[in-house]
Amino acid sequence: MLAVERLVVKYDELTALRGVSLTVESGALVAMIGSNGAGKTTLLNAVSGLIPTREGTISWEGSLITGLTPDAVCRLGIVQAPEGRKLFAKMTVEENLQMGAYSPGPRARVAESMKRVLELFPRLAERRRQTAESLSGGEQQMLALGRALMATPGLLMLDEPSLGLAPIMAAQIFEIIGDLNRAGTTILLVSQEVLQTLSIARDGYLLENGEITLAGPSERLLADQRVKKSYLGL
Amino acid sequence: MNTVLLVQSLIGGIIMGSVYALLGVGFSLTWGVMRVIHISHAAFGLIAAFVAYGCLQRWGIDPIASLVFMVPLLFCCACFVYRFLILPVTKAREVIVSSMILTFGIAIIVENIMLLIWGPDPRLITTWYTSRVFIVGPFYFQYAPVAGFVMAVAGVGVIHLFLKKTYTGKAVRAAWQQSDAAQLYGVNLTRISMITFGLAVGSAGAGGVGLALLYSFEPHAHNLWLIYLFLVVIVGGVGNVLGTAAAGVLIGIITGLSLAFLPYQWVNPLTFGLLMAVLAVRPHGLFRSEV
Ligand SMILES: Nc1ncnc2c1ncn2[C@@H]1O[C@H](COP(=O)(O)OP(=O)(O)O)[C@@H](O)[C@H]1O
Ligand SMILES: [Mg+2]
Repeated sequence: MLAVERLVVKYDELTALRGVSLTVESGALVAMIGSNGAGKTTLLNAVSGLIPTREGTISWEGSLITGLTPDAVCRLGIVQAPEGRKLFAKMTVEENLQMGAYSPGPRARVAESMKRVLELFPRLAERRRQTAESLSGGEQQMLALGRALMATPGLLMLDEPSLGLAPIMAAQIFEIIGDLNRAGTTILLVSQEVLQTLSIARDGYLLENGEITLAGPSERLLADQRVKKSYLGL
Repeated sequence: MNTVLLVQSLIGGIIMGSVYALLGVGFSLTWGVMRVIHISHAAFGLIAAFVAYGCLQRWGIDPIASLVFMVPLLFCCACFVYRFLILPVTKAREVIVSSMILTFGIAIIVENIMLLIWGPDPRLITTWYTSRVFIVGPFYFQYAPVAGFVMAVAGVGVIHLFLKKTYTGKAVRAAWQQSDAAQLYGVNLTRISMITFGLAVGSAGAGGVGLALLYSFEPHAHNLWLIYLFLVVIVGGVGNVLGTAAAGVLIGIITGLSLAFLPYQWVNPLTFGLLMAVLAVRPHGLFRSEV
């Protein structure tokens, strides 16, 4: 279980998170929604150890992980597929997947994971010798997901996995995410696609201006007047 | 035109260029991966040349054989330099500038240590095979440069395979292309940078010994070597190992041919004129940066 408590993160003078608390239970699919600039990416990066925190704590399976370096967080099984995919553009599809399994634990099972990921994404199997930059947007997103799965995540954090994709492709990605969760992967899904995100997640948080303003089961978020007005355009 | 002279100088140029390429790949890697323009790179190569010279003089150890302990030694030395000098500087905002100033200082210190130990006189490595040649048709080959060539090809090949085939090598490339993502998947940037720097300096040692097989050297020689390094790396595309190798050979050929057919004072203006032309036409070097 991931537990974030009263987390404060600042970029120099700008406060990006003002005391955020949230939990992701083992096996859950939790959604984090909010508009551009709300602090969603900041939250994931703080959990991953890419940016320092000012106050508050982050714990994983009961032990404190605040202040760990990103590689150490990854070794604990907390894996982020970052916003904008951030693939290794000039490396092949296969090498990108191998890099996903860089940590010692996943590396010991790299052949097994590779087989599983290529079965999940046959498109990637066809293109395994191509460079990542030569793939289409949808394929790149599959590769980003595949690379994250190669790390055999105990918690998978996805940052805007449908960003920039055609609607059909986005729908397919959300379907895959739902399947992964049903197959047992714990997922924290960050997205601006409020309707699709909340329809596959059981619980959700609304982040506004660095603060959690709403939390609860997805149906409750979907029924909320603010969400309806600001995020669903109803 | 004298065909034999032409081919002979072509071969000489290829040999020289390949050794510069070996010296250049590490320089290129540190530049590309770590954003550090390592001004003392050639100076470390020169230390290796002096130590190889000393080992040969004192114990009769072959210069190439001495690399067996020298490369690991330079690797460790470089890890130390990285940890205590370079790493603090890479936290600065202007990494390129501050690292250049720092490593320029290291180069000066290293140069003066060499002056203190070995004095200012030029040295020439003379092994049992230095004066030997073998003859193929109308061409003759000196053993020492050929040995340097073989070593350079092997060295560049090993670095290339390391980057393409090993997990650590792939992590080096990954860290370079997308350092945040590399960290998110378990790459420890400090450790990978240290390994990169260590390997670069280790290969500089091999390159330095290679150059010492071709030319005489003295404690200031690394300044000239460094200029050629910039040439090779910029033409080859920063961080591109095979591009660097190709650029080394290309520049070697140009230098070799112009040495044979032009008055000496034209050689460097021509070579560097070509560099400027390359930069004007292809600002990122001749070869696409492919890591
Ligand atoms: N590297 C950075 N330096 C300074 N400010 C940043 C940086 N990254 C994000 N911010 C600011 O922090 C706030 C939250 O950004 P972010 O976490 O990217 O939001 P979201 O992912 O929800 O769109 C924004 O106001 C953004 O401008
Ligand atoms: Mg974001």
